[in-house]
Amino acid sequence: MNQVGAVGLIAALVFAIYGMICGAIAGKLRSPRMLKSAQRAVLGFFAMTTLAVVSLEYLALTNDFHNSYVASHSSLALPLLYKIPVLWAGQEGSLLFWTWLLSIYVALAVLLNRRKNRQLMPYIIAICMGVGTFFSLITFWTANPFNQLSLATATGVTPYAPPDGNGMSPSLQYHSMVIHPPMLYLGYVGMAIPFAFAMSALMTKQLGDNWIRVTRRWVMVPWMFLGTGIVLGGHWAYHVLGWGGYWAWDPVENASLLPWLAGTAFLHSVMIQEKRGMLKVWNMVLIILTFFLSIFGTFLTRSGIISSVHAFAQSDIGPWFTVFLAIIAAFSLTVLFLRLDFLKTENRLDSVASRESGFLFNNWILLAAVLAVLWGTIFPIVSKAIQGVTVTVGPPFFNKVMVPIGLLLLFLTGAGPLLAWRKTSFQSIKRNFTVPLIFAVLVGAILFFAGVHRLYTWMSLFLCAFVAASIVGEFYKGARTRMKSTRENFFGAVYNLTMRNTRRYGGYIVHFGIVLIFVGFAGQAFRFETQGLMGPGDLLRAKDYLLRCESIDTGQKANYQFETAALSVTKDGHALTVMYPQKRFFLAEQESLSHVALHSTLAQDLYVVMAGQDPGSGKAIIHVIINPLVQWVWIGGIIVLLGTLLALVPSSIERQMADLHKGREELAEARHVS
Amino acid sequence: MSASRLVKILVLTLALVNVAMAAQSPAEVEKGIGDQVYCMCGGCVTSLNTCPMQFCEVKEGMHSIIRADLEQGKTEPEILQDLVNRYGEKVLAAPPARGFNLTAWLLPGVGLLIGLFLAITIVRRWRRPTAEAAAPAGAPPVDESVLSAVEEEMKKYLD
Repeated sequence: MNQVGAVGLIAALVFAIYGMICGAIAGKLRSPRMLKSAQRAVLGFFAMTTLAVVSLEYLALTNDFHNSYVASHSSLALPLLYKIPVLWAGQEGSLLFWTWLLSIYVALAVLLNRRKNRQLMPYIIAICMGVGTFFSLITFWTANPFNQLSLATATGVTPYAPPDGNGMSPSLQYHSMVIHPPMLYLGYVGMAIPFAFAMSALMTKQLGDNWIRVTRRWVMVPWMFLGTGIVLGGHWAYHVLGWGGYWAWDPVENASLLPWLAGTAFLHSVMIQEKRGMLKVWNMVLIILTFFLSIFGTFLTRSGIISSVHAFAQSDIGPWFTVFLAIIAAFSLTVLFLRLDFLKTENRLDSVASRESGFLFNNWILLAAVLAVLWGTIFPIVSKAIQGVTVTVGPPFFNKVMVPIGLLLLFLTGAGPLLAWRKTSFQSIKRNFTVPLIFAVLVGAILFFAGVHRLYTWMSLFLCAFVAASIVGEFYKGARTRMKSTRENFFGAVYNLTMRNTRRYGGYIVHFGIVLIFVGFAGQAFRFETQGLMGPGDLLRAKDYLLRCESIDTGQKANYQFETAALSVTKDGHALTVMYPQKRFFLAEQESLSHVALHSTLAQDLYVVMAGQDPGSGKAIIHVIINPLVQWVWIGGIIVLLGTLLALVPSSIERQMADLHKGREELAEARHVS
Repeated sequence: MSASRLVKILVLTLALVNVAMAAQSPAEVEKGIGDQVYCMCGGCVTSLNTCPMQFCEVKEGMHSIIRADLEQGKTEPEILQDLVNRYGEKVLAAPPARGFNLTAWLLPGVGLLIGLFLAITIVRRWRRPTAEAAAPAGAPPVDESVLSAVEEEMKKYLD
């Protein structure tokens, strides 16, 4: 199977090179035959990368330790659930996984556009296959997952398989880790498709509304995956790392945030181009930036160029990525520069107080966020290069810089939708802003008198109230207008209103999810921590909670030994629950990991970690954190996901337009035949 | 109420809220320092408070230094300086705002200001001549309610 996988990888590289060349020729000569051949090359690329992936999964599932990669990242005792993620547990497998996901995206793009966008498709294929060539090449050349272990003996080199593998990093043996990396990768890789659409539109001068209409969904899908991956990463960190937080501004975390921020800017500014024919160059810049940052993110994640908690990703593929990033920047900016004359703004701005201005300022803040995160992330490298000193840029820097930017963004999230397209009169501003502002002021006053006295926390919750009220107001006003004209009941009106314009109301739901996430962030200001040594019968108080150690037990599972404390918890004198924080020692990997015990409510999490054993007394070191409002972050993440899915559903207007368009095409075809 | 009055009231409210907000309690000093420095074990690459490694001797050593300094009555900046003297500047979780490191702090703000300047420039360049300027002299001013009604219609059409 190892040879099958290796052949699949080489064949994928050949298909990628052929598809790239064939697509470029098809675009240049406008040759349908060459296009067909390029499309087949895409399907061949997909088939061969799939073969390579299936081969590697087979080797992992059958514990074939002849394969060097499987021997390094798996073991006999590794549970079946974690044998599948062996594919992305290390450098070589991750790059193959990246290539495979790209092949899925490109194959989908080809299949969904068999009869559409025929002028755009040749260059789309050429660009995507160019990206595919790069990833196939580095997977084959520098990080081949199909290398076999061998032993040099007197009679020559013979294949060798160790009796057991090294195992997987214990921190990766957690259920959300099974889906967190695929989500992030689906986000990173997917940005190649809108980039290819944009470049192809520039190269073919097909710069009307079509490419931007088609591209929007191709951006939303990876944007959704990236966002989901980021939240899942936070969920993993919270449950596995044992420090009670979910975001540490680690370079690899930042790497995933950067394309998400740039993609968010694009999803907003693209509306100005669709509605008003403005910001055409800017949208191109944003889509280039989003793809560039996706590759940059992959580079940071996989190269280990900056010290990170994700130390499992270190390697020497940096120079390859540096060259590839330079090629992307040079190619895309050159094409953009050559087509500037075709990207003239069609309209003028009627008023500063307009939705267009709101989006423009939203883009300003989002790009400022990109700059701040990017600069903070790469500053250690810049400092080392310029002053020869390694500095650390961690949470204190990012929190100081990003909190004000985040608050400005939160304000615009609420204010933007309250502004009308083209021009908003002062009367309208007063009418739209009054209720959300009054609500926010009321909430702000209550919070202040309830003891919320930290400025940023108070402002964050004040703005959350403002944005939430503005979103509810938008639904209410829309439903009320519908109720007057259609006699529907309120809920029917809200449903039909939403389905009539899924993009707009899906967007509001996404905004609402973001509000909940910010509420969760604000809760961190009230975090409480305590620690104590506990043996059977010992008590530990954490604010209103009283923990009593009932027993400390040890045991063994297939791949780890564990020590568990049974802690009965009472709150205000009432029995609440029994918690079992655990310390695990993974045998194959010779590493230990905490298994956090959690009691979660909407108000707060009781987070208990068994940090270890005190060598003197032999008692368990129990670390207790009371973490307010953390659940709101996860709920907010789910709501953002649901809102995005809703925005992806074609609205009733879009469906009617599509039917009309299809009817016209059929009519034209019938006329052509007759 | 005019827009400028509304802005003044808002600014005043925020200023009052800011003044009224209390400083952090002294009990949080140790935790505060733990957030401002990195664990120097080289394995975790996280702040001292968030190092997830069990039995990390470096982490325990750094905590001991902080506690000893606190017992000696040292202030937070003095304790941070003590840690810098022992481990070098990279122990700080954020670069100190001096010399070349100042650029780390300034660039995001400069970027924000340049972005604001660009956004304002774009808005100005895009802006059409105002309705008043374009209208012939003596044309009656447009009623706000009419503008509002047109705006609502436009919103329905465009949204």
